[in-house]
Amino acid sequence: MAEFSWLPRSPLEHVLVVGAYGARDVAPGISLTEIRNFDLIQIMARRGKGAELANAAKARFGMAAPEVPKAVSASDVTLIWSGPDQFLVLSKGGKHAMDILSQAFSQFASLSDQSHARALISVSGMKACAMLAKLSSLDLHPASFPIGAAAATSIDHTSVNLWRGSDLPDGQAVFNLLVFATFAESLWRTMLDAAAEYGVDIGYSEELG
Amino acid sequence: MVSHAQTHRLASGGLIDRSAPLNFRFDGKTFAGFQGDTLASALIANGVKLVGRSFKYHRPRGILTSGSEEPNALVELRTGARREPNTKATTAELYDGLEAASQNRWPSLRHDLMAVNQLFSPIFVAGFYYKTFMWPAKFWEAIYEPAIRRAAGLGRAAGVADPDHYDKAWAHCDVLIAGSGPAGLAAALASGRSGARVILCEEDFALGGRLLADGGTIDGMPAAEWISRTLAELASLPNVRIMNRTTLFGVYDGGTYGAIERVNDHLPSPPEHQVRQRLWRIVAKRSIVAAGAIERPIVFAGNDTPGVMMASAMRTYVERYAVTPAKRIALFINNEDGWRTVETALGAGLQIAAVVDARPDVSAAHRALAAKAGFPVLNGFVSGVDGGKDGVRKISVALVGGARAEVEADGLGVSGGWNPAVGLTSYHRGRPKWQDDISAFVPDSAPPGMVAAGAANGAFGLGACLRQGFAAGVAAAQTAGHGVPPVADDEAFSLTPLWHVAGKGKAFVDYQHDVTASDIELAQREGFESVEHLKRYTTLGMATDQGKTSNVAGLAIMAAVSGKSIPETGTTIYRPPYVPVAIGAFAGHHRDENFHATRLTPSHHWAAEQGAVFVDTGLWKRAQWYPRAGEKDWLESVTREVKAVRGGVGFCDVSTLGKIDVHGPDAGAFLDRVYINTFSSLAVGKARYGLMLREDGMVYDDGTTSRLAEDHYFLTTTTAKAGPVMQHLEFCRQVLFPELDVQLTSVSDQWAQFSIAGPKTRDLLGEIVEPVADLSNEGFPFMGAREVPLRGGIMARLFRISFSGEMAFEISVPARYGDALVRNLMLAGKQFGVTPYGTEALGVMRIEKGHVAGPELNGATTAADLGLGKMMSTKKDFIGRVMAGREALVAPDRQVVVGIKPTDKTRRLRSGAHIIPKAEIPGPDHDQGYVTSVCFSPTLDQWIGLALVERGRERIGEIVHAHDPLRGENYDVELCNPVFYDPDGGRQRG
Amino acid sequence: MRIVCPFCGERELGEFTYLGDAKPVRPSAGGSEHDVFDYLYLRDNVAGAMSEHWYHGGGCRAWLKITRNTLTHEISSVEPAAGVGAAKVGG
Repeated sequence: MAEFSWLPRSPLEHVLVVGAYGARDVAPGISLTEIRNFDLIQIMARRGKGAELANAAKARFGMAAPEVPKAVSASDVTLIWSGPDQFLVLSKGGKHAMDILSQAFSQFASLSDQSHARALISVSGMKACAMLAKLSSLDLHPASFPIGAAAATSIDHTSVNLWRGSDLPDGQAVFNLLVFATFAESLWRTMLDAAAEYGVDIGYSEELG
Repeated sequence: MVSHAQTHRLASGGLIDRSAPLNFRFDGKTFAGFQGDTLASALIANGVKLVGRSFKYHRPRGILTSGSEEPNALVELRTGARREPNTKATTAELYDGLEAASQNRWPSLRHDLMAVNQLFSPIFVAGFYYKTFMWPAKFWEAIYEPAIRRAAGLGRAAGVADPDHYDKAWAHCDVLIAGSGPAGLAAALASGRSGARVILCEEDFALGGRLLADGGTIDGMPAAEWISRTLAELASLPNVRIMNRTTLFGVYDGGTYGAIERVNDHLPSPPEHQVRQRLWRIVAKRSIVAAGAIERPIVFAGNDTPGVMMASAMRTYVERYAVTPAKRIALFINNEDGWRTVETALGAGLQIAAVVDARPDVSAAHRALAAKAGFPVLNGFVSGVDGGKDGVRKISVALVGGARAEVEADGLGVSGGWNPAVGLTSYHRGRPKWQDDISAFVPDSAPPGMVAAGAANGAFGLGACLRQGFAAGVAAAQTAGHGVPPVADDEAFSLTPLWHVAGKGKAFVDYQHDVTASDIELAQREGFESVEHLKRYTTLGMATDQGKTSNVAGLAIMAAVSGKSIPETGTTIYRPPYVPVAIGAFAGHHRDENFHATRLTPSHHWAAEQGAVFVDTGLWKRAQWYPRAGEKDWLESVTREVKAVRGGVGFCDVSTLGKIDVHGPDAGAFLDRVYINTFSSLAVGKARYGLMLREDGMVYDDGTTSRLAEDHYFLTTTTAKAGPVMQHLEFCRQVLFPELDVQLTSVSDQWAQFSIAGPKTRDLLGEIVEPVADLSNEGFPFMGAREVPLRGGIMARLFRISFSGEMAFEISVPARYGDALVRNLMLAGKQFGVTPYGTEALGVMRIEKGHVAGPELNGATTAADLGLGKMMSTKKDFIGRVMAGREALVAPDRQVVVGIKPTDKTRRLRSGAHIIPKAEIPGPDHDQGYVTSVCFSPTLDQWIGLALVERGRERIGEIVHAHDPLRGENYDVELCNPVFYDPDGGRQRG
Repeated sequence: MRIVCPFCGERELGEFTYLGDAKPVRPSAGGSEHDVFDYLYLRDNVAGAMSEHWYHGGGCRAWLKITRNTLTHEISSVEPAAGVGAAKVGG
């Protein structure tokens, strides 16, 4: 009987080429990093169960789940607002995977595993805002979209979740994008197109930033 | 290739970089210019006066203006694929190696045979399209139109794909400023100092607007110094962004503005990875229109002769570019501003031949200047120009009082006053108001959040521009701390309105469209008095310049001949764009393979490795079939795939189906309301086929929905309707049935899903599924749905559903395992001859099985039409229930789905053919339906199809015509049971 | 056009889908053919303020009830549909 291996394959595996892309005569203005193999669970409060869910979330994660478009992080998890009465739980290593969260929340919420439905791309660099201005209609100026701001929005008519992470040690802004897996390759090409003039440094990581 | 000397370049001065000489070519001749020139200024520097031929009459034309309002000096810029027609020489920045060609002439600009059109000018009058070439009708396409198109027109498009890239971007600010003249810069200072986020757009490459040509003293310093100090201060403010080479072209709802940035138009081609142009959508809380004013011509005979130029443009060429449009200049003016050109010309050492001033009250100071410089001041009007393609030679003057005079000159500067640029303020159907003291339209209202300042607001004095701009900046920033406004004197402005000097010869109103004063008079005589009618009848203002130099003069002439005032006559509606914007910029990167976003299935790259042929299905790329070596066409490949499934086992990626998690205590009740059949009674671990209607009773979508837990259903939609169904269900949940406790999430991308079909399906699955899972008919019956472990450690969902009519399962795994699954299926299935199949084989098998799909779910069929009427529950309410019961929707003579087979078994069927009763002559009177889906059935070894046929189910066995006038085919088909294959369903249940 | 989503803030038009008149109310289960016909087909052709359904499909997927002036595109109010924010019902 044949042996079967079940290696996960990122939706960006085919298209992502590690290294430099685009303009070479400038220091890379953009870093694009794909984060692979994460757990992502959507939690939607049931009717009239908002307060119970909020308490359960606080107990589980040690912090309140966002009720407005924000992302909040603890050491092992990020909670991202994704719409009224709902948020996403982003983590690694199975600690907040579907089966575990189901037990904690199924009394008050409906859970849907989105771990494989998205690709996670982190955009940083001096030109991150200039490049994202070509993709996103949002105002990403620090005054309007500070660290921790999140949005459910669209790029190229495709739904994405976008949030601003903590700045890098050198002060550069970091924007995280969750894009639908089947659109990921197409959006990746669009992002490269937008970033090429600034010089791009491409990589991937198994770690959440 | 010797460069011609710059015979008309002044020895010093100008904002050009004389250390950076540039060579360029115009109509094949090589010339030289400097960095900082436009093509127009460089042509003037080389003494070139003749630049183009006019649209209809092929009259020689020169350069009229120095800005984006230019109607005459249009050229084809660049060559080959980058050739861009109708480019304004007055805004095209000179670069080394620039190549330009004049337009609309044959064989050459100087010897244009098409100028013969002038002899036929009586037929080119207003409305000539409607009046001539009317008969015989067939001559229009064959003879008249091609001839007119060759004779009249502008430049030629490149005719091949644009090699350059364009992109689109968003910008956001508190204060958006259009224009960098004194008002714009003062506004930027005031708002920028307050800390507001400011964007200032300037269409020119240089900042300063009219200050660049007209100078002046601001805060006690020369204008040039004030500009550089101001720009330095603005550059030090991180909240201020200055965008030069950027034209604000449109104003849209909610404070959204369109701007086009010519990022690299000033270079021969964009540097690698850079775009040529970028389209900006700017969202601004407030905006200030400081776009200045446009000097207007006076309409007189010969006013289009090369060498006739706007008086302010002459100043620009002399002061900014240090070139001399003429050596001996006459001026024809009706206002004080025109006299500034006299001072500029004399300052540059040029001769003034005469000033023809329509005003009787020329100031003593001007008269003294004239006396000192030795030129006459004539109170009167220019009535004619003597000259031609080599320029102006002499002008005729009708003096007030009746005498005539002639003035020898090689250039004529004209100023009829100034029109504030009211476009941006009027783009929300705003109508500008008439202001008597400047005889011009000024903004009356503006879109929300917008104000006009400076010349764009009718304030022509430098001091007033600065004050208005600064005040607008303060108001827009809505905060304190702005400093004090810059100070300058206000020049006196006086004007005697003058639009048209009657006389012999063509007097042009719209230069670019060759509309004359007499065309307007003719339109009035023929009853086209409304300005909107006037515009369309004469084409006044409808050229690429949008009538920037012609509209007001045109309606002033209409007002005069119709005996109305100018404000009574009114303006036409202003519409964006303010300048032409390339379609490429609107498209941005959405071209070729990036025309729209693309979706790939989890097995895409594996399928590509197999050499699959892909088909676009909406945004998806799907494997259509998998050709093998030696197969001569698609039909052979598809036939092999179908036979392999029916005889063994195959699989197909069906991940494109929409997948929705329906959660919550009321999930079952919710589904009962959106499906025609009942789901609340479905047992956990079971799947059911469901049909949705629209509220009007027509079928909307279908799919299989499984109950995975008491409060969790997994709903699937068709590929095409995945998005719309999600939106529809959210509408039902949020708007129609808010009382239900139900939650929806799209999980389309979470699951890689494959259909595995054929009699050996269980054998294949047995290899890959852990033995603990019982796949027998008893352990996993038809329409079962549950989770099973796979060998090697992951969980999968199995659904025992069949689209092909075979023993089949659908298997789904989390999407990142989709690629591994397909490879493992191939590995496990090798011994069974497992065959991947594409959408074509899928389609063949569904037709063989009589399953309806897109062609039958066409938005006009009911459940009963599809043979699914019995699914409609009578025990509950659901979307579409009431309307589905309407008389016409339950009429017995509706067209319903039926199978068809050709009576000649060798015959190919085609969808779209009409069904006509055998006894009738084919034609629309006897149309009883049409063929929706066809395929070659390898199982039946003949073509079969589905059709929508009137009373079809009652007519099984009847022979009818399939009538296909489009392809010229007419043949007999037999109406039959749509389920061609295994009609009692034994195979899929086995 | 820009719409202030009560959940997401101000967003551009492209994120929203227009459905139409929000005034007609779907008849309950016992509604007659006449009632449903009215609900489905009869619409006022409003020149001025109109109540409309919009879907923020390119954002938070909330259905919104928007009052928009059809002459000026001015939006005077945006409210979530009745079923949005149900987590707080009774709480």
